[in-house]
Amino acid sequence: MSAIAAPVPLGEKRIRFTEEDRPLIAFGLFTALGLTVLLPLALMFLWSVADGWSPPNIVPAAYTGERWAAVLSNSDILNAGLTSLFVSVVVTLATAVIALPTAWAMARIPFRAKRLVEIFILAPMIIPGLVVAVGIGRLFLSLGLAYSISGVILVQIVGTLPLMIRLMTATLEGIPQELIHAARSLGAGTFGVLIHIILPLCVPGLLAGGLLSFVASFEEFDKTFIVGAPAVQTLPVRLYMYLDPYSMQLPMASVVAFLLLVPALIIFVIAGRVLRDDLMAAGMGKM
Amino acid sequence: MLDIQNITKDYGPSRALHPVSVSVDKGEFITILGPSGCGKSTLLRILMGISRPSSGEIHLAGKRIDPLPPEARDIAMVFQSYALFPHMSVEKNLGFGLRMKRVDKAEQKRRIAHALEICNLTALSARMPRQLSGGQQQRVALARAIVMQPSLMLFDEPLSNLDAKLRDSLRAELVDLHRKVGATSLYVTHDQAEAMAMSDRILVMNGGRVVESGSPVDLYRRPKHAFTAGFLGLTNLVPVRAHGLQAALPWDGDPVLLTEERNGIARMALRPEAIRLEKAHHSPAEVTSTTFLGSNVLHLVKVAGMELKVTRSGTEPILEPGARVAIAIDGLQHLLVESDSVEAA
Repeated sequence: MSAIAAPVPLGEKRIRFTEEDRPLIAFGLFTALGLTVLLPLALMFLWSVADGWSPPNIVPAAYTGERWAAVLSNSDILNAGLTSLFVSVVVTLATAVIALPTAWAMARIPFRAKRLVEIFILAPMIIPGLVVAVGIGRLFLSLGLAYSISGVILVQIVGTLPLMIRLMTATLEGIPQELIHAARSLGAGTFGVLIHIILPLCVPGLLAGGLLSFVASFEEFDKTFIVGAPAVQTLPVRLYMYLDPYSMQLPMASVVAFLLLVPALIIFVIAGRVLRDDLMAAGMGKM
Repeated sequence: MLDIQNITKDYGPSRALHPVSVSVDKGEFITILGPSGCGKSTLLRILMGISRPSSGEIHLAGKRIDPLPPEARDIAMVFQSYALFPHMSVEKNLGFGLRMKRVDKAEQKRRIAHALEICNLTALSARMPRQLSGGQQQRVALARAIVMQPSLMLFDEPLSNLDAKLRDSLRAELVDLHRKVGATSLYVTHDQAEAMAMSDRILVMNGGRVVESGSPVDLYRRPKHAFTAGFLGLTNLVPVRAHGLQAALPWDGDPVLLTEERNGIARMALRPEAIRLEKAHHSPAEVTSTTFLGSNVLHLVKVAGMELKVTRSGTEPILEPGARVAIAIDGLQHLLVESDSVEAA
């Protein structure tokens, strides 16, 4: 702890970490990670394979793979998984397609009511999902969109759009105007600029937004439940059914929760690889 | 080659560009020089096609281009910020314009190889822009313009993002390249040294107007306007009374010989290096400050209520402040043409 004992020179408020501090910091970070991520996962896994786990026992008395087998062979869950996958893919694509032009307008075109539009875009993020769901549920019922996959997709887009628009607006704002001028003076028309310059430069933003939208949609419960259930069952809807207070099937719920985790894990591995490059800063003279 | 006729630009009621007419010959390197806000960027944007002129016409290589969008003009631009496409390698950056213009594949290859070679980039062709230094990025930006073989190349202060040393070496490279490529070039800058070193002709702008144009030597030695004289190097504006081919200075001394006849009161832009100082004990002129700059020495001399800037060669004995001096003017001098409209802004 010599670093703390040493007098801190004036004007240098930031504490410098030394080589000796490293194990300590590593210990802290890994402990936090363990407590917040690994421990719950471990417990969940134990629940999913436990064959009876009642209070006096610290670890389950016996283990069984029965539930995994049951869930994986259960056609309802398989169907729910497929529904979830389908809904999430469509929601992600539709979100991207709707968000891009909106973000373009927000980033590039000065117009008078911009602040107001911004608030409208963010509104679904500020208002609790359940409130939105109840309101929209009522509306969809009268429009005949309730209890249908298209209704679920629409209501989920309401939730994923704000984040995507924000992300794409930031990405598009980061594309220097001069890059577009340069492309045009080199002979690219509006379409050429879009295909060869703007879209490729949007890829990191689109991926980030797309991944987050996908995860958000895959795990979405409130709105899906109110608009779609019981006709449309996604994985989270199934999960909550196992968690209802009367039957409380924790082992089954754990298995479904693991299934919910899979796409998120895959996605964050991809994200980690793709999002590392900071394309924008390069090429504009900033090193 | 390039013919700009009475181009103006109005933003609402305010006029950013008063009628500007310029013509540039094929292969000429012309610089638009002026302080920020003088209208040079507005003119550049109009030439590029990003902004439409309020009136006037532009012809390039016999074709009227002002109604055309940027992509339909035969103009390539080198930006201050380089504006390289960050997701493309050097080679792809160079090939972008050729691909857009559907140039034949073999021809593309040939032109890219040639541009890479003359810009000294062949070894870097596979690199991404972020892997290049500032100077290298600027050379890529240049090569990307050269590869297009445009009728006109525009430069928007391309060297101002670089540090002083690199700027000098790239300036020399640019001049050299222009000699090799021979493209008609229009270079915009606020740096008078850059303008003087590179240009065949300089167009001085101020307050949305062209003040005057001419070769670097003419503009420096025989400026018509005080603004030009002041913007291109140091100068002393001295009021004189002209009579035929002679002009009397506000202090006692021999009259100055003029390049052309004039009568009445006028102003003269006296370059600091055109004034000669001699030690003279009872002279009214007094050295008030001395700044040693190495190759030369800058003196301020107080005479007749004015403060004259005078430079002397660094090899001469240095005059200390307080020294009394006699002032002599070398050679023929030139009177300014006064015109309020260009001086006001």
